[in-house]
Amino acid sequence: MYWLEQSQVEILMNKLAESYELFGPRRDEVSGEVIFDRLGNPRQLDLSAPIPYNPPKYILFPHYEEILKYRYDRKTKKVALERINHLKPKALVGLRACDLNGLMCLDRFFLGQEFVDEVYLEHRKKLFLISNTCVRPFPQCFCVCTDSGPAAREGFDLDLTRVGERYLVEVGSKKGQKMVEELGLKEAGAEAAGLKKKVVDESVSSFDALALENKAWISRATNRLTTGFIKPEVWEYIGQQCFECGACSFVCPTCSCFNVEDVNRLDGTTDRVRTWDSCSFEGYTKMAGDHNPRKPVEDRRNKRFFCKLSYSQSKKYLRPGCVGCGRCARVCPGDIGLPNVVTYIRREITGE
Amino acid sequence: MSYYRGVCNFCGTGCGHLLQVEEGRVRGVYPLPGHPLSQGRLCVRGWHIHELLQTEERITSAFIRENGQLRQVSLNEALDFVAKKLQRLSGEEIAFLASPRASNEDNYLFGKFARAVMKSNNLSLASDAGQEESARVLLEGCGWPAATGSLSRLKQADFILVAGGDLTKQNPIVASEIHRARRAGAFVATISPRKTQMARLSRLHLRPAPGSMSLVVEALARIIYEQKKYNLEYLTERTENHQAYLSHLESLNLEEILALTGVALEALTELAGKLSAAKLAYVFYPTGVQSLDRRTMAALFNLMLMTGKLGQGEGGIIPVTGISNLLGSYDMGLSPTFLPGYLEASDENNCRKLETLWETKISRTPGRSVSASLAENKSLRALMVVDHDEEIIRQVNRIKELELVVYFGAYQNAFARLANVIIPRPSYAEADGTYTNFERRVQLNRQKVKPLAEVQPLWKILSSLARALGHDWQYESAEQVMAEISRVVPQYAALTYEKLESSLGLKWPVDEIHPEGTDYLLPEQKKAKFRFVLEEKTLSQPTIIREPEADFPFKLTVGRSNYFWHQNSVMKRTFIPKREYNALLLLYPKGFVEISAEDASRLKLREKQPVRVISPSAEITLAARISPDVLPGQLYIPYFVEEMIPEFLLRQVAELEKSEEYFLPVRLEKVG
Repeated sequence: MYWLEQSQVEILMNKLAESYELFGPRRDEVSGEVIFDRLGNPRQLDLSAPIPYNPPKYILFPHYEEILKYRYDRKTKKVALERINHLKPKALVGLRACDLNGLMCLDRFFLGQEFVDEVYLEHRKKLFLISNTCVRPFPQCFCVCTDSGPAAREGFDLDLTRVGERYLVEVGSKKGQKMVEELGLKEAGAEAAGLKKKVVDESVSSFDALALENKAWISRATNRLTTGFIKPEVWEYIGQQCFECGACSFVCPTCSCFNVEDVNRLDGTTDRVRTWDSCSFEGYTKMAGDHNPRKPVEDRRNKRFFCKLSYSQSKKYLRPGCVGCGRCARVCPGDIGLPNVVTYIRREITGE
Repeated sequence: MSYYRGVCNFCGTGCGHLLQVEEGRVRGVYPLPGHPLSQGRLCVRGWHIHELLQTEERITSAFIRENGQLRQVSLNEALDFVAKKLQRLSGEEIAFLASPRASNEDNYLFGKFARAVMKSNNLSLASDAGQEESARVLLEGCGWPAATGSLSRLKQADFILVAGGDLTKQNPIVASEIHRARRAGAFVATISPRKTQMARLSRLHLRPAPGSMSLVVEALARIIYEQKKYNLEYLTERTENHQAYLSHLESLNLEEILALTGVALEALTELAGKLSAAKLAYVFYPTGVQSLDRRTMAALFNLMLMTGKLGQGEGGIIPVTGISNLLGSYDMGLSPTFLPGYLEASDENNCRKLETLWETKISRTPGRSVSASLAENKSLRALMVVDHDEEIIRQVNRIKELELVVYFGAYQNAFARLANVIIPRPSYAEADGTYTNFERRVQLNRQKVKPLAEVQPLWKILSSLARALGHDWQYESAEQVMAEISRVVPQYAALTYEKLESSLGLKWPVDEIHPEGTDYLLPEQKKAKFRFVLEEKTLSQPTIIREPEADFPFKLTVGRSNYFWHQNSVMKRTFIPKREYNALLLLYPKGFVEISAEDASRLKLREKQPVRVISPSAEITLAARISPDVLPGQLYIPYFVEEMIPEFLLRQVAELEKSEEYFLPVRLEKVG
């Protein structure tokens, strides 16, 4: 491991800016809230800011993205395809462990199955990832229940852990190693691993006192969801509170559902557009001939939590589909963010 | 790719959002955390506004119609053409149809153009549905035309009553706030004939027969009166006419009301008890897309006044506007009867004051709304329209007869087919402007994307036209227009872009006494006493209820579903909300009528079976949809298939769409 002094953060950012567009947590000047955004100025980076309101998902899997362009010639009946390839390399600095884990879930969906999603791959292979250990949890966090924090274990190029006034830097890739060497960072010596472990252990033990918004009894909920022993009334109670806005899917670092539309442009070409979608929408599961296997809202809700927590889904991600960031609880107009649903399931089990 | 702070432009909630802009295009949207009302939430519409903002179905240049064909022209040519036509028109010969989605700056100058340049008082919004009535009831009762309370302490409320509509569909984030308050312990009750999601999320749901909601509210007051759970001392000290109101309550026959409304006495008594015991109480009702009638609004106001819940803090009456800038549009005086700032146009002093500020004469001829002008004014020759939806369908033939129809719009629209001149407008993300939500919160929305060269903000276009007509309008920015608004509209007296820039909106009145805005109706602001809103009608026995006629035993009401929102001209340019709307449309391509399981089994109707709905004047065939949401004896048609309007609802629609207090007596016949 290496040491990065506070004063070297800017040098690191400037170095990255030579090859990458910079993204990271910044504060909105009026609301004071934290957004994971493009950094026009590297100084906007705020590594001590709380977990951003938005996950970095949109950088690899945009809200709205042209994935293909084509022109159909009516006379010759031929289609000319055009690949859209304008992606710039990007550096994501200050990723929280939950969000890095979310990104790895997306990798397994888009890259780890029978078909590789080439558009996602284009985004993915041009990234430089720097994670940032949460030395203390934020009120909404429950990553300790989902095994996705407070420190990242894998997937980063560089990982930062704040120790006192400086950062311990762990290298996770060749790209990362090269960067460390180019910057000439000081080696941290043998005691580094122990220092980092101490910081992470302290963070874990402060969840009880600081992460008060959400408690999630994930292992029992996983058991129940997998075996299907949850009464329909619980799902109905949850369904009644669903406003069908799709927000839980849109803010989830691991949700990967999308919709595809062809949009005719004025110049005669057609863009094939991919947009975010959500299993909470009725139209999402509707099939030809009016059939809808998940018509009632509670069936659609049920599906989402099955996707996040059941054992069979977790096998695909090699981890639970929930990374414990607590965003779904904050954006939900009802009161059915994942931690609350786990609470409803727990109440059913314990009869509280 | 960066996120920029802004205000959602769909409904009157005015949620804060972040628009993601990349290379001059809006590519995504995210809720703005920390917004005082929406607090990082958006509804299904708000989550897809970027799809609308990217549509190719824009109006990108000006057009003039010649021999029936539209010819693309430069903006200057179009403006010269319009100015020459306008020079030859008198105020009586022209009417102005404004948009409740346009900014305060655009709307203010549109109203000023009508009154000061064209000397016309024929000025109104397209969709009003109860907003003007609501403002009048509140002005009469407490001298304050909008939300008397503030949602800042909603979570501490112990009593919340939601009357009519379905806020979970019309203003989902307001409904979400109410739901959160309920989870925090508030008693939430809904009064609506249909079982809506709002009703499902309430502790108590009263389901009065259509047309009887005002009676239910008066019955509540009567019960409180009988139980003497009101403070006579407070009423004597704070109100002008409590005796008239109390004697009206005395005259009510509770038993008769219960029979007419079909509501149980126990439920009413429980609700009355909760209200009179409440320390912090709120009443919500919708306006704009669907609303209540004047009588029900007055009854709700009187109930809150009688129980001492007004002018006592954050609680109060909250009319919830269904369209983004509906309240701001009235603030700017887009009405034949209100000048800017809710000053009565019929008052000579108000007219003189405005003439001094505007340094020009205005007409004293009373104006008409645009629909009244089209229907009654034979001398009408011209119409100027901003971003209109497609509900003008009722008067298509009259509009076709007009010599000049100028359409200012951002999106391609059926109205453009009726226009002689089309002038492009920027989308709301392409211009600076302020929008006023139902809370009275004025929010600044900055330009995030540059429009095409030929697309100019409405205030700029109107300034050019005014100059061509001999008026010295020299506005150089939306900010300069706001500077003038602050001199003309008393509620906006101390508002500046500078203040708005560094805040997430300020609630009017923003004036010398309250430079940072006003959270709720303050007793000191209201020097005069409150008044109960009484009318001749209110003093006598109820007359609004019509007994079902023997030939037409069902009471039919119409409403709007989640995704079919505001005539759908906006939703159909998105992907996901459009798909969700189409899901319903594909199931019921010709629309449906909801019927209770009891009535369906009595009439031997199966799901999706075609059925003729027959009113005294028209009929339509729709699919039956058996629903647990309607009571026996009632029918409900969601208003989502455009053809239903001319085919069936045409004659009744004006009243039906305004208020769920109106219903149509119909009968059903099986087809085949």
